[in-house]
Amino acid sequence: MSLGSAPPHRRRWHTGPYWLALQLVLSGSLLLLFLLPIVALFTYAPPGRILAAATNPAVTAALYLTFFASGIAVLAAVLFAIPLGYLLARRAFRGRSVVESVVALPVVVPHLLVGVGLFFLILPGSPLYRFTTAIGLPIYDTIWGVVLVMVFVSAPYTVLAADLSFRAVDARVLEAARSLGAGPATAFLTVTLPLAARGIVAGLLLTWARAVSEIGGILILAYAVYPGGPYSGPVTSTLSVYVYNLFQTGDLADAAAVSSLFLLIAFVLFFLVRLGERSGWVPWHRGELLP
Amino acid sequence: MNGWSVEGLVSQVDGFRLGPVDLELAPGRVVAVLGSSGAGKTTLLRTLAGFLPARAGRIVRDGVDLTDRPPEERGLGYVPQGLGLFPHRTVERNVSYPLEVRGRTDALARSRALLARFGLTELAHRHPARLSGGELERVALARALAGEPDLVLWDEPWQALDVEARHELGRVLEELRETDRVPVVVVTHDPSLAFSVADSFLVLRAGKVGLRGDAATLLAHPSDAFTARFVGFENVYDRTALERGRPGSLASWLSERAGTDGVAFARPAPRAGGDPDGAWDGVVRSARPTPEGLAVTVRVDDLSVALRLPPPPLGAVPSVGSRVRFDIEEKSVHALGPAVPGPRGPPE
Repeated sequence: MSLGSAPPHRRRWHTGPYWLALQLVLSGSLLLLFLLPIVALFTYAPPGRILAAATNPAVTAALYLTFFASGIAVLAAVLFAIPLGYLLARRAFRGRSVVESVVALPVVVPHLLVGVGLFFLILPGSPLYRFTTAIGLPIYDTIWGVVLVMVFVSAPYTVLAADLSFRAVDARVLEAARSLGAGPATAFLTVTLPLAARGIVAGLLLTWARAVSEIGGILILAYAVYPGGPYSGPVTSTLSVYVYNLFQTGDLADAAAVSSLFLLIAFVLFFLVRLGERSGWVPWHRGELLP
Repeated sequence: MNGWSVEGLVSQVDGFRLGPVDLELAPGRVVAVLGSSGAGKTTLLRTLAGFLPARAGRIVRDGVDLTDRPPEERGLGYVPQGLGLFPHRTVERNVSYPLEVRGRTDALARSRALLARFGLTELAHRHPARLSGGELERVALARALAGEPDLVLWDEPWQALDVEARHELGRVLEELRETDRVPVVVVTHDPSLAFSVADSFLVLRAGKVGLRGDAATLLAHPSDAFTARFVGFENVYDRTALERGRPGSLASWLSERAGTDGVAFARPAPRAGGDPDGAWDGVVRSARPTPEGLAVTVRVDDLSVALRLPPPPLGAVPSVGSRVRFDIEEKSVHALGPAVPGPRGPPE
């Protein structure tokens, strides 16, 4: 521990100004790529229009639906993805690598295909369609369709984060807990879970971010969302679909305004997380959660 | 608590087989488990702790068979290699853990009392990441004792500790033996601390009990090369290395006294003034002053022999290349090998 703590020498004379210039140009280019489209959006959306979008009931309904559905997706990840991550981290079983590949699949498959796949699975009129409708979970054009797609594309991030985090818990620490009198459940709750919590929370945050930004599968299953189930607002769509609609119908200025509004909200949220890290309100260290 | 008895314990990990091991653990007794890497020391502790199933044999505490009980029901204070402290808990709440999981309301108060006893009060609110090696060892021991265990299992204490921390820990262990009267099984590579705290020794060799007994037994009958080196015999020779010696040479003299595995003897003291009657004649290769005297290495034919001379200025430092005559007492030469009988007889 103490051996590695000596600060490394900064041999400025050795690297030289050209090296530094190269680094600045390369990393600067990427930052510009991230920033310029946002700048362009805000150029087309003056503050007045953004404010108008923020107070437009159609926009707030879309925002509400998006945050509500992504919240349910995060809960689903807590309920289903964390146990799967634990299983992958702790159990050796046949077909493990198959399971791991299946978990990674939603990350690499184009999300439009996800929608198409789900469509063929729950083909209108099919037994599964009748079943989901009968138990009060209709999929097409409901919040459940949105949630279904969101969970599909975003839960893998929590599975992977939980797998890595559980794996990183030192088995000897766990054995110490067991021998000191803790049963398997107590040891899990008092040692494994607290030690893995930071990584899992990071995974949940990624899951949420991925769920909020989903469009591909939603276009197919729930292009418009009618009230039903936990959603009781007006007929609307997720924010991504809403902006896509505005853009398709040529309402470019409003598309820019709504996009900018969403960017502002996302920025404020992530800024609050950073602020929390700075002042120690959150149970993890700076840079552990967000890159 | 009257004690533990381990009878014919057999365990297996990935093709490695440990045992059968027999052990008696009386209150206040410290047993040191010795053996080279891979001999099965940690496997033995993990089987006793209940993390590896016993393939045969029994673990009995006060007449109660614990062999198939889960770890949390064995009443243990297990200190694994690397200590296994909880990085997310403060020192105080590491130590209170065994009491918390038992639902004791006085957990923190008792934890603080233990911290005071181990001189850790000032570190109570720190996290393990901010402690030194010696402090960490003491926290681990305090935590192991907090649940009032019937047996302490300690894997490799004193690993990577400086001289002062080792001394402090030796003192703590001594107190543990006298005050808490808990039997302790300690796995170690450290001869000086093993001899200072252990009442008896168990030497493992490739999963089998190679030797069992007290310090005197170990010193009198170091039946394998590892034990011989552990107890400080620096002249350890493999049997095959000795068989090449020509008749009348030191190698051939030693091979007549060797067991199936070879032979070992402590540093002989050479005769003063180059006694012409000294049996063996060596050429000095090196001479270094040490706390125990002058360590001299000589070459006799193609054998290297470590000798001990009085430290300077009592004796002169022999120069490299000079000749030294020395004797090896017949009774100081120990045959090595499983077939060598000790006073308690070999196990098996």
